[in-house]
Amino acid sequence: MKKNIFAKKIIFFIILILFWQVISMAEIWPNNIFPSPYEVGEDLIFSASDGSLFFGIGTSIMRLIVGLAIAIAGGVVLGIFMARVESVNQTIGSLVLGLQSIPSIAWVPLAILWFGLTDGGIIFVTAIGAIFAVTINTYTGVKNIDPHYVEAARNMGAKGTQLITNVLIPAAFPYMISGFKQGWAFAWRGVIGAELLFSFLGLGFLLNVGRQLNDVSQVISIMLVIMLIGMAVDGFIFKKIENKVMSRWGLR
Amino acid sequence: MTKLETKGIVKYFKHESHQLMALGGVDLNVEDGDFVCLVGPSGCGKSTFLRIIAGLETPDEGQVLFDGKPITTTGPERIMVFQEGALFPWLKVQDNVEFGLKMAGIPKEERAQISKRYLDMMQLTKFSNSFTYQLSTGMKQRVAIARALVMDPDVLLMDEPFAALDAQTRDLLLVEMQLIWEKTKKTILFVTHNVAEAVVLGTKVAVFSNRPSKIKKLMAVDFKRPRLTEDENLLGLQQEILSELRPEVKKER
Ligand SMILES: Nc1ncnc2c1ncn2[C@@H]1O[C@H](COP(=O)(O)OP(=O)(O)O)[C@@H](O)[C@H]1O
Ligand SMILES: [Mg+2]
Repeated sequence: MKKNIFAKKIIFFIILILFWQVISMAEIWPNNIFPSPYEVGEDLIFSASDGSLFFGIGTSIMRLIVGLAIAIAGGVVLGIFMARVESVNQTIGSLVLGLQSIPSIAWVPLAILWFGLTDGGIIFVTAIGAIFAVTINTYTGVKNIDPHYVEAARNMGAKGTQLITNVLIPAAFPYMISGFKQGWAFAWRGVIGAELLFSFLGLGFLLNVGRQLNDVSQVISIMLVIMLIGMAVDGFIFKKIENKVMSRWGLR
Repeated sequence: MTKLETKGIVKYFKHESHQLMALGGVDLNVEDGDFVCLVGPSGCGKSTFLRIIAGLETPDEGQVLFDGKPITTTGPERIMVFQEGALFPWLKVQDNVEFGLKMAGIPKEERAQISKRYLDMMQLTKFSNSFTYQLSTGMKQRVAIARALVMDPDVLLMDEPFAALDAQTRDLLLVEMQLIWEKTKKTILFVTHNVAEAVVLGTKVAVFSNRPSKIKKLMAVDFKRPRLTEDENLLGLQQEILSELRPEVKKER
């Protein structure tokens, strides 16, 4: 069953690449506008062999990790507060909903003014793009906790931070993990977008360089890398955690 | 000696626009070592009554005295076993059982020693490293009971713990529950909607009236143990309790 689906995917992508190759060989558009998959592959190998690709990937991923970590830490704390203290929810909660509607790219000018063209600025954009998704999911998760868990824990003597770390966080975890997943998706878009505009190292910067050099195959090859990293994180890291959490928490 | 006394417990709930009087002055005296089974029409406030004794809810009038002193909040001497068990799915069986000990700051090795005794008692040793989703409903209730016993409470408050079990598992647990009570000498308040269960387990059976509920009748149960659900000499008392209960259930409709 699983093998079957995997085979289907592989065949689909092979056909897609062949199709792409055929179209480029038909020379409808000039080669420097619509490169063949072979040329894009060549470009990938070239940027991999001189190390610039890996340096770009490493830079972007570092920024992503730091930004996402900040977003998760801040979002979890904020979400728990909103869920447990009604007046925090009524005030900060409405602000969170408002801020969430701002695309992370729209934070870039502010980040440049505040942080200059630094890593800090890009990390700021990444974190702010992800934090509200984490907050809202954590809030929903804590709100949906079976009250019997909290009562049983209180009855057995849990209070204050003990209750938060031993019951609220683990009980809300299935929701929180979807928050992390959404947060990661926003953070990944945010980091690439910010790098494009900051034009300061990373995969977004390489995209920009490709554009400046009129090098379409570099642009496409970097886009492919961005997509592959996204698929890998979704498909391996988050899928694994989600499956484990869902079955252990008895949700499937 | 009186372990637990409730005096005129009244509890209102908001129901749409008006106040609903769920408990209408519940008086109950529980002696040390009593096994009191509470029966009553559904929705009459049995769970609410237990939760008030646990300290999870405050009554609008009246008070609960524990060893003569009024209770104000939850305490490890009054532990509740919930209808659905309320086990923590993110913890292994052993960690579920040790939860209260951990909250009390008892070190790991000591916790393991204490929990082992109760895991053995509830025949859970084999499952101590399982997660709760791997357990049957009956096993889950055993864990819930072990988790409560580990706190060594004076009073065990059990809210329909066997309601979701199949007949065979329930019969088994009914016998075990009697043995646990004899062995541990706990005072137990046990809510059930099953009259046969009440006479098998209880030293007393308290019948709740319909809302606003009071205790309509308190009956002593004097048969030798272990009692089984199919014991014929229990049938007479069962009928008597049912005849108290029936008019209350009718009022409900
Ligand atoms: N938190 C609550 N808010 C509003 N009504 C409640 C609440 N808890 C219980 N009730 C109502 O109070 C009555 C008694 O409930 P409960 O104690 O659960 O009854 P029982 O356990 O005897 O079935 C029911 O009518 C129920 O709907
Ligand atoms: Mg109930």
